[in-house]
Amino acid sequence: MSQSKILKISIVLLLIQLYSPSIFAQSSTFAFHPSFSNQTLKADSYYKLNATDSVQITAFKFYISELELINDSKTVWKEKVSYHLVDAFDEKTLAVQIPSNVPFTKLKFQFGIDSLTNVSGAMGGDLDPTKGMYWTWQSGYINFKLEGNSNLCKTRHNEFQFHLGGYQTPFNCLQTVFLQVKSTANIKLNIDVEKFFQYIQLSQLNHIMSPSKEAVELSGKITETFRVSYE
Amino acid sequence: MNKKWVTLLISCLALCAFKIATQQLFEVPQNWPKPSYDFKKNPLTKQKVELGRELFYDPILSKNNLISCASCHSPYTAFTHVDHDLSHGIDDRIGTRNSPALMNLAWHNLFMWDGAINHLDMQALAPISHPDEMGETMEHVVQKLQQTTKYRDLFKKVFNDTIITGEHTLKAMSQFMLTLVSANSKYDSVMRKQNHFTEQENKGYQLFKQHCSSCHTEPLFTHTGFENNGLPLDTTLNDMGRMRITKNPLDSLKFKVPTLRNIEFSFPYMHDGRFKKISDVLKHYTSGIVHSKTLAKQLQQPIVLSSNDKVDLTAFLLTLTDKAFLFNPKHSFPKK
Repeated sequence: MSQSKILKISIVLLLIQLYSPSIFAQSSTFAFHPSFSNQTLKADSYYKLNATDSVQITAFKFYISELELINDSKTVWKEKVSYHLVDAFDEKTLAVQIPSNVPFTKLKFQFGIDSLTNVSGAMGGDLDPTKGMYWTWQSGYINFKLEGNSNLCKTRHNEFQFHLGGYQTPFNCLQTVFLQVKSTANIKLNIDVEKFFQYIQLSQLNHIMSPSKEAVELSGKITETFRVSYE
Repeated sequence: MNKKWVTLLISCLALCAFKIATQQLFEVPQNWPKPSYDFKKNPLTKQKVELGRELFYDPILSKNNLISCASCHSPYTAFTHVDHDLSHGIDDRIGTRNSPALMNLAWHNLFMWDGAINHLDMQALAPISHPDEMGETMEHVVQKLQQTTKYRDLFKKVFNDTIITGEHTLKAMSQFMLTLVSANSKYDSVMRKQNHFTEQENKGYQLFKQHCSSCHTEPLFTHTGFENNGLPLDTTLNDMGRMRITKNPLDSLKFKVPTLRNIEFSFPYMHDGRFKKISDVLKHYTSGIVHSKTLAKQLQQPIVLSSNDKVDLTAFLLTLTDKAFLFNPKHSFPKK
């Protein structure tokens, strides 16, 4: 083989490596699994809260950021540009890529968007302000959005709207999530919306639309409902 | 060999020309502080500024395609809405505040009378989405832009976008707004030692430094913070200002200190446009202050100005008029 041919082949190989790291670095995923009790959450389905009351969910979205894998309290992998908008009703947003050749015991991420990102101006991708997860009347990302209706809400169209966010003290809603895992394959992260409704009195509280004490408290409660399973 | 040198020379010249072109888009005036806008994240280019200018003057940003940014921020009046105490928007709906004048925005961290907006890039979202202003959504604006050949081509050319994004729309608008620098008033030329104040203007300047400059700090003529300047609460609006955002009672009745640059053109004054004339404003500061818990410490003691003082002070304030800024063709409606 001539020298120039070897050179050409190496350049091609180099380019492949540069542009498709997935060929070399094996990747795996973990997937969010939004549910209502033990049923998979579906848009516009009715779910019973008790014998007489029910809810219908029309939107359920949230951000996670700063994803890390931890092995025995050491960070073994950190996602570089780490912002994910998870939409319960958009299948392709539920799975998040992680490397499969890195052993780890804990998943760590932020539930929401950190304060620095919140004050850094216009951003693209999942952070684009056209995604409906940015407040317009007051700057800041909406970390968590849950909308729907219930007979319990004495509001227009029986609607409820929970837009949780806020990055400034004392109303910083960002929550750090640590999740212990037993296996690194096929991780399923269950988020049970029913627990949210068990925590609040929907007849009393049917909307949060700005940074507040309630928003901080609820953000914490939501992350407590996260459960890991494997499939 | 000769040819190589020529090519090198041409490239050098092209590079210089490029450098000069980008420098002219935004320059920090002599003796001014460093801007707070992070230009590294959104480097200015002539094309992006021009795209921002197109958007600024285009009513496509509003729900009924009739209201543009310039509807309430007209270039000839320091980019504000004159003759209206409260600015009006879509379907003649009236808002709750007077639209602020736009200039020297690169030096500000918080925007709006209550500081609700934390970055220039995000500012346009507020009027676009407000039901009394442009009544639109950013999602829909981007869809509408995508449907026009003009913006499809412009975004392709400027950002290499096939799909127009909210990020790039907002960044282009920031680019145009960043170029709105007012630093060529008579005051500025006096500071640069190219001109002299008249005796009256100079007296006014001394009074200004004594009574006004701790909040309306030079060279921006605002310290960019929030103060309660002792206005009686308008009970038809009950606007609590900064407290609406921070929910902190210590911020009650505080509003962003506006710049005094181009004050001759930016009437009416105050967050609700309650004063039509500079003399009304001076009257407020000398005899209208309402004392409350959050009143600015600078206003605790009464300000005493004789009627001659007021005339002198006004003469100084008029030296802040910057005609080169107000009538800069680069800021006005983009002509085909």
